[in-house]
Amino acid sequence: MAPGLAGYIVRRLLWAIPVLFAISVIVFYMLRLAPGDPVDTLLGQRYQEEEAALIRKKYGYDRPIHVQYVKYMQNLLRGDLGISTRHQNFTVSEIILPKIWVSARLGFIALVISFFLGIAAGIYAALARGTFLDPLTISFWLAIDAVPIFVAIPFLQWLFAIKLDLVGLGWQGFTSANIILPILVLSLPGTAGIARFVRASVISVMKEDYVRTARAKGLPERIVVIRHIARNALLPLITIIGLSLPGVAGGSLIVEQLFGIPGIGAESFEAVLAPDFDVILALVLFGSVLFVLANILIDILYAVIDPRIRLGSQRG
Amino acid sequence: MSNRMLALMMGVVAFLILAVGVVFVIALAGGGNDDTTPASPGGSDRPRSSAGGICAGKSLIVPGSQPNTVLDPIQVVDVSTSEYVVEIFGGLVTLDPDLKVVGDIAESWEVSNGGRTYTFRLRDNVVFHTGNQRRVTAEDVKYSIERAADPANASPTVVAYLGNIVGLKDRFQGRAPSVSGVKVIDERTLQIDLLEPSDYFIFELTYPVSFVVDRQQIEADPRNWTRNPNGTGPFRLAEFKPAERIRLVKNSRYHLGAPKVDEVIFQLGGGSLLTQYQNDEIHLTPVPASLLDSILDGSNPLSKEYRSYRGLATFYFTLNPNKPPFDDPKVRQAFAMSIDRETINTVLLFDYYEVAGGIVPGAMPGRSSSVKTYPYDPQRAKQLLSESKYAASMPRIILTYAGSGAAPGDLLVAIQENWQKVLGVTVELQAIDSAAFLREQRQANFQIQSDGWSADYPDPENFLGKLFASDSPLNYTKYKNPEVDALLKQARVETNRERRYQLYAQAEQKIIDDATVIPTFWSVEHMLVKPCVQGLPDAPMTIPRYRYVEIKEP
Repeated sequence: MAPGLAGYIVRRLLWAIPVLFAISVIVFYMLRLAPGDPVDTLLGQRYQEEEAALIRKKYGYDRPIHVQYVKYMQNLLRGDLGISTRHQNFTVSEIILPKIWVSARLGFIALVISFFLGIAAGIYAALARGTFLDPLTISFWLAIDAVPIFVAIPFLQWLFAIKLDLVGLGWQGFTSANIILPILVLSLPGTAGIARFVRASVISVMKEDYVRTARAKGLPERIVVIRHIARNALLPLITIIGLSLPGVAGGSLIVEQLFGIPGIGAESFEAVLAPDFDVILALVLFGSVLFVLANILIDILYAVIDPRIRLGSQRG
Repeated sequence: MSNRMLALMMGVVAFLILAVGVVFVIALAGGGNDDTTPASPGGSDRPRSSAGGICAGKSLIVPGSQPNTVLDPIQVVDVSTSEYVVEIFGGLVTLDPDLKVVGDIAESWEVSNGGRTYTFRLRDNVVFHTGNQRRVTAEDVKYSIERAADPANASPTVVAYLGNIVGLKDRFQGRAPSVSGVKVIDERTLQIDLLEPSDYFIFELTYPVSFVVDRQQIEADPRNWTRNPNGTGPFRLAEFKPAERIRLVKNSRYHLGAPKVDEVIFQLGGGSLLTQYQNDEIHLTPVPASLLDSILDGSNPLSKEYRSYRGLATFYFTLNPNKPPFDDPKVRQAFAMSIDRETINTVLLFDYYEVAGGIVPGAMPGRSSSVKTYPYDPQRAKQLLSESKYAASMPRIILTYAGSGAAPGDLLVAIQENWQKVLGVTVELQAIDSAAFLREQRQANFQIQSDGWSADYPDPENFLGKLFASDSPLNYTKYKNPEVDALLKQARVETNRERRYQLYAQAEQKIIDDATVIPTFWSVEHMLVKPCVQGLPDAPMTIPRYRYVEIKEP
C-alpha cells in the first residue's frame, strides 16, 4: 500500500457516516410528511377511520415522527430493515435483497459488455481517424443508442421469440437463454457514450510527446498502441466506471417490466407509488451507501495512481 | 493502414475476451441456483412452440397480480388478493360459475325467525389441507368469525359484510368479549342470528371475511402463518415469491371434487403477456383495449382463441353536489346527457365495454332492465345548461382520476371532447396517485371524479345499499337522499327476493336521476385462452374457478 493511503481511506470512510445519517433523517421525514399514506393504498375504497386507525397503530405510524425514526434506527442497527406494507408480512430484506441481487448481476453483465464494446469501438474509431470508418463506427453505436428501448424490446421479442423461436420471454433465471434479450437491451445503448469518450481520449493521447518518442524509438505499432496510448487514454474511464457502479444495482424499470424480470427497478417504482415506507428507505440508504463507496473507490484508485492527490489531502 | 488492421485485430480480440467473459459470468451466476425458478414440471426446459409443451402437462400457467395484502381472508380488500384466497380457503357457502350460492363447508341451511336466523348443517368430510388434516367443525367456523371481529386484527371488511350479525359490532368496538350471534349447536350445526332480517346475508357469506381458518396454525405462529396458510379450499399454497410467482397445488381431498389440474402457477412478474401467450408460455391472457381490434380481425389466428363475457363492474363519474357548478342539478343532468357513450364505445373502443344501463352491472342477478340512465341528448343538455345558474359564467372544472401521471386514456379524452363540443365547457383532466385520489374522495374535496366499483358478491345490494345508503360505512361518495334511504332500508329487510329486487330498482332509478353519479360503462372481460384449456368458467367475478379446468387437446 502506498504511504499515507490507509489514513486517507479511513478519513473518507469516517466522513461517509454523517453524510449517510443526514440522508436517512431527510428521507425519513420527507416520506412521513409527504401526502401519500400506505394505509390509504391498503384500504382503497373501503377506507374507514376506525379500521385505518387500527392499522396505523399496528405499524406504529400513529407515533411522533422522531420516535418512529429512533425506533427505525434501532432496528436498522440490529439488521432489521422493517416490514413491507406492500408485501405484507414479508420483511424488507426478503423483498429487496433477492431483487437487488438479480438486478445487480444483470446490470454488471451489461456493464462489462458495454465497456468492452465501447473501449474496442472507441480505440478503433480513433485509430481509423480520417477514414470513413471512424464516423461509421461511432454513428452505428449512436444509432443503436437512439432507438428507444420501449420500441426495441417489443421488436426484439417479436423477432427472436415469436418469429425465430430462439428464446422464451418469461423469466427463467440466469441459466436460461431467455436472459440474452434483456442483456442486449441493457448493454448496447450505453456503448455509444463510452465509445465516444474513449475515442476523444485516445486522440488526445496520440498527440502527446511520449507517443511520438515511442514511435521515434522504432517501437512496433502494437506496443505503442497498447502500452503507451491505450494505457494513458483509459485512465479517465475510472471515473465513468466508478460512477456507473451504483446504477448497476438499481435495475431498469422498463426492461424489468417488459421482460417480467423480478428486479429492483420495478419494485422501487411500485414501492414509491404505494408508498411502502420501509422499502423506499432501505433502497435510498442502499443507493447512498453505494454512491459514497463508489466515490471513495474512485478517489482511492486515483490516489494509488497519482501520489500528488493523497499527499495534497494530507496537508489539507 | 497497419493501424486499421491492428485496430480490427484488437476488436476481434476484445470480442473473444468478451464472449468468454460473459459465458463465465453467466456460469458463475448460475452457480447459486437460488434464483433459477424450476422449469415446467417434468424437467423440460421451456415449452416449445408446438403448444405440445404447455398443453402436455397438468399445470396451468396464468398471469396473476401481486396480492395487496397478506393471504388472510379477514384482510382481503381487493380483487388481486381474493383471487388466491378463494382458491386456498373456503367458507360456509361459495359461488358456482353461474353465481348461484351453493354449499361449501355447509351442505345445507335453513332460514327461520322471519329471516333473522340462519342455521347451517355442515358436511362431515371437510378437512384442512395440512397439519394433521383435521376435520372442520362448527367450532372452527365460529372461531373464524370471532377472529375476524377481534379489533386487534383490524379487519377492514368485517363490519361492512358481517355487521348484521348480532353482537359483531360490539365485539369489534371492544364492548363484548365474543360475538353473541354465532352459536355452535353441535359439531355439525351452526346458528347465526342477525340484527335484522336479511335475504342477501347468504351472499355476504361468499365474501372471504368469514372464510374458515386453522386455529391451531394461527395460535402456533400468529405472525407468519399466512406465508403458508392452511385452509379448506380446492388448492393449497405451495410457493409464494413476491412479485415473481405464486404456485397453488391441488387439494385432492377437496370435498366438492378434486381439481383436474395438478397446479396453477400465477406469474406475477408481468412482462408482455400477449407475446408470452403467443410464445406458448402462458395458457391465457387478458386482451388490452388497444389490441382488441387487431385480434378480432378474422385473418388473425388468435381470433379463434378469443372469448369475452360480461363482468360485474361499473365505471361512473361522481359529481360533488356541494361544489360549484355541480350543486345545480341541471348542470349535472346536462353533463350526463352530453356523453355519447354508444359512439365512443363502438367507434373508439371497438366495443371493449358495454354502455351502462344503470349503476348495477347488467350481468348482476336481480338487476332490473326497467332502470334507465340518461340518454345522449345534446339538445336537451344545452337547454338544461342554459337554464342553470351557471349559464352565464362557468367556474373552472377539474376532473380527477387515479393514475400515475401517464396520458389519460382515450375514453376520458373522448368524454372531455363531448362536454366541450356539446356544452362548450372545458373540463381539465388531472391524474393523481391513488392514495391522494381516495383521500380527496373521502374529504369530498373534488368536483368530478372518474371511478368505478366491482362486485364483492352477486347482489344489487352490494352496489346500491353499500355505496348509497347514507349510513353505510362504504358510502364513500357521501350520497344522501332520504327517499333513497327509505327504499334501501325497506329492501334491506325484505325477505322476498323478487320484491327486494324491485325495491332496489326503484332506489337505483332515483339515484341515477339525481345525477350525482353518472354511470358510463359496464366491464366486459376479454380473454385469449389456449384451446387445450377446457372447462374454465366465464364467471364475471372472483370465484374459485380453477378446479373446473382440465388441460387436454380439444
